[in-house]
Amino acid sequence: MGSEREDLEIEMETLVGSSQSARKTSPIEIPHNLALSNVSISWTLSRLLERLWKSVKVVIFTVKINLLLPFGPMSIILHYLTKNHGLVFSFSLIGIAPLAERLGYATEQLAFYTGPTVGGLLNATFGNATEMIIAIYALKNGMIRVVQQSLLGSILSNMLLVLGCAFLAGGIVHCEKDQVFNKAAAVVNSGLLLMAVMGLLFPAVLHFTHSEVQYGESEVSLSRFSSCVMLVAYASYLVFQLKSHRNLYSPIDEEERQNEDDLDEVEVPELGQWEAISWLAFLTIWVSILSEYLVNAIEGASDSLNLPVSFISVILLPIVGNAAEHASAIMFAMKDKLDITLGVAIGSSTQISMFVIPFCVVVGWIMGKRMDLNFQLFETATLFITVLVVAFMLQEGTTNYFKGLMLILCYLIVAASFFVHVDPPDGR
Amino acid sequence: MGSEREELEIEMETLVSSSQSIKETPTVEIPHNISHSNVARSWTFSRILEQLWKSTKVVIFTVKINMLLPFGPMSIILHYLTKIHVLVFFFSLIGITPLAERLGYATEQLAFYTGPTVGGLLNATFGNATEMIIAIYALKKGMIRVVQQSLLGSILSNILLVLGCAFFTGGIIHSKKDQVFNKAAAVVNSGLLLMAVMGLTFPAVLHFTHSEVQYGKSEVFLSRFSSCVMLVAYASYLVFQLKSCHNLYNPIDEEEGRNKDDSDAVEVPELGQWEAISWLAVLTIWISVLSEYLVNAIEGASTSLNLPMAFISVVLLPIVGNAAEHASAIMFAVKDKLDITLGVAIGSSTQISMFVIPSCVVVGWIMGKHMDLNFQLFETAVLFITVLVVAFMLQDGTANYFKGLMLILCYLIVAASFFVHVDPADGNV
Repeated sequence: MGSEREDLEIEMETLVGSSQSARKTSPIEIPHNLALSNVSISWTLSRLLERLWKSVKVVIFTVKINLLLPFGPMSIILHYLTKNHGLVFSFSLIGIAPLAERLGYATEQLAFYTGPTVGGLLNATFGNATEMIIAIYALKNGMIRVVQQSLLGSILSNMLLVLGCAFLAGGIVHCEKDQVFNKAAAVVNSGLLLMAVMGLLFPAVLHFTHSEVQYGESEVSLSRFSSCVMLVAYASYLVFQLKSHRNLYSPIDEEERQNEDDLDEVEVPELGQWEAISWLAFLTIWVSILSEYLVNAIEGASDSLNLPVSFISVILLPIVGNAAEHASAIMFAMKDKLDITLGVAIGSSTQISMFVIPFCVVVGWIMGKRMDLNFQLFETATLFITVLVVAFMLQEGTTNYFKGLMLILCYLIVAASFFVHVDPPDGR
Repeated sequence: MGSEREELEIEMETLVSSSQSIKETPTVEIPHNISHSNVARSWTFSRILEQLWKSTKVVIFTVKINMLLPFGPMSIILHYLTKIHVLVFFFSLIGITPLAERLGYATEQLAFYTGPTVGGLLNATFGNATEMIIAIYALKKGMIRVVQQSLLGSILSNILLVLGCAFFTGGIIHSKKDQVFNKAAAVVNSGLLLMAVMGLTFPAVLHFTHSEVQYGKSEVFLSRFSSCVMLVAYASYLVFQLKSCHNLYNPIDEEEGRNKDDSDAVEVPELGQWEAISWLAVLTIWISVLSEYLVNAIEGASTSLNLPMAFISVVLLPIVGNAAEHASAIMFAVKDKLDITLGVAIGSSTQISMFVIPSCVVVGWIMGKHMDLNFQLFETAVLFITVLVVAFMLQDGTANYFKGLMLILCYLIVAASFFVHVDPADGNV
């Protein structure tokens, strides 16, 4: 008991010394008076607090990316102190990055307790929770184009930038041979991505050629119907992936459990089940709060930074939102575990295109917003050609550094295109 | 002789009591008087009639789908009695279905006598005779968009709906493993489909970007030239398929010949050679007659049902026209004979895109109609993305129920898109 208290005191000093703890420790401060005066209550209380402490230590203080955590609260302060939207935008963006990463971590930890099936489902649903939360806030604000473009940018960033960097890094490290991966999974994902492109293409072309029954109305109805179809397809994909072909498409958490040399994944989960759930809730709330400030600052940031809103939505938002996936994909590629890399990158793209986008349309339907699948012709064309390029790259099941370099350079071209892209003022 | 007559009488009573026979038997009624009075002549005569009877029995009365046959004549009657276009449309549509199926059957039967080469050719040419006949009638009436959209819808229905249902049911029945098929054939067909898309894309984009030498005229000229090129390509494909790579692309009739457990194809043909040819002629004539009433009723049906004409042409017409192929493709997938399924579905699409569509352009050329390959931007885009999706699905040579489900859901999206699609009023795009 005494030694534990010493432990706690030492930890507290160490923590108080670094600035992160200042804001995080206010609910967990240990009042010495209580602990000394009422032994039994304080004993339970300090056990609880000790566990909270350990939990916080594990979740917050073990990963360097969490140095960025203060940016979040700072952006909120800046929002009320200054009117500098550029700063608020950048700070909240940077502040979200570690939260997104920890959200992924908490999801994986929870997956240990729920078994591979529900675990895969959790990954599949919450894997892109950050993008979904940002999109829903933008939807609430009626910023339909931001929703469409940020989700599109997330897909493009996953398929081109993340995958390209992973292939490049892996190819350079393993330059004697081509790395191989499971073709079947890549083919199914390419098929799903093409189906998503189909769902996006038809409303866009119908609107563009003025060949709808009711100009402007039919495409919304068509989008809503297509979204339901796409959600059914995604649900069947999950069923198919998790039940029938377990060996073909080894889910990521099973793979990770088999890898004993991974730095941040051990076979024993680090968090308890209820810890993981509480952290999930807590982090989601934080992400939501920051997203609100982020979304409110986008237009102002676009003016002050002199960048088109589409560039901010398509390129800047996703780069940060995907930072964690980016890092893990590269790491697995360097360890020659390309199936996991593909699962992270392409699986994430599939999830956004077949789940998050249709889900946003349905949410918009419920909210009464006119969110539809008509991403306008330029965005749709970009997605189409990107999916084709990536599908062709993946179809033979091997990779090397040159393919990675090609994908990265394609991403540069895409980014440059959006740097000079605005929506025509007549809203067509 | 007497026993034969008894047989005939029994058959006649059985047939007379069921309603189908009333309309089909006027030509084969047996006058008892003649057969009694002039024995020698009547003996030959009744032999012929008996053969006709047997033939009719085999062709008409063995397959349940032929219960739909009365819908055909009923639609004709309705056309003259009422002005309800919807009824005429649906009745003629339903009436064509069994005729299309029997046409396919007669073609297969004839293939037994002509050998695999000409048999394959027959299948390749007459496999989509129904679509071709409907298209030519629409062309005669100057309904160019209906021609384009019905043929497009036939392709889409074949590669998405038929193939999807087949993969889905086959995958569910054989759920332990992925079903496999011959990749090479699928790849060649995908290539041909993409070539057809190319032939359709260029006139459409030229027209849309207003970058032709003579607006509205150059694209017709280009379409006619492209159609001839596509016909040459299709002819070469037939030569390639039937002569050089016999073992790679086992034609459907050979496969069926070897399958003793197939219910509707046995190694011994059921019809004589001339019987088969005559039935081919009779069925084709019947289909033509019904097609005329069908095409005449399309516009009226569209107005009364409050559906866009695009939806009727692209989705409704082909579903019925392909009903028979649909059923056989699913059956073969369930029996784990995916190569035949692919031959039926993808082969039919290739045939329509590389043979029927260019033929219609050429026929329109002869007729003096302005039929061209400019299917307008939306239809061309739909075909393009669909061919890509299917080509990607097929490229690894395996099939499972999920791929089938994906194809079916894609078809739902396509159908929904055409549900809200009309041509712009100015005819500009």
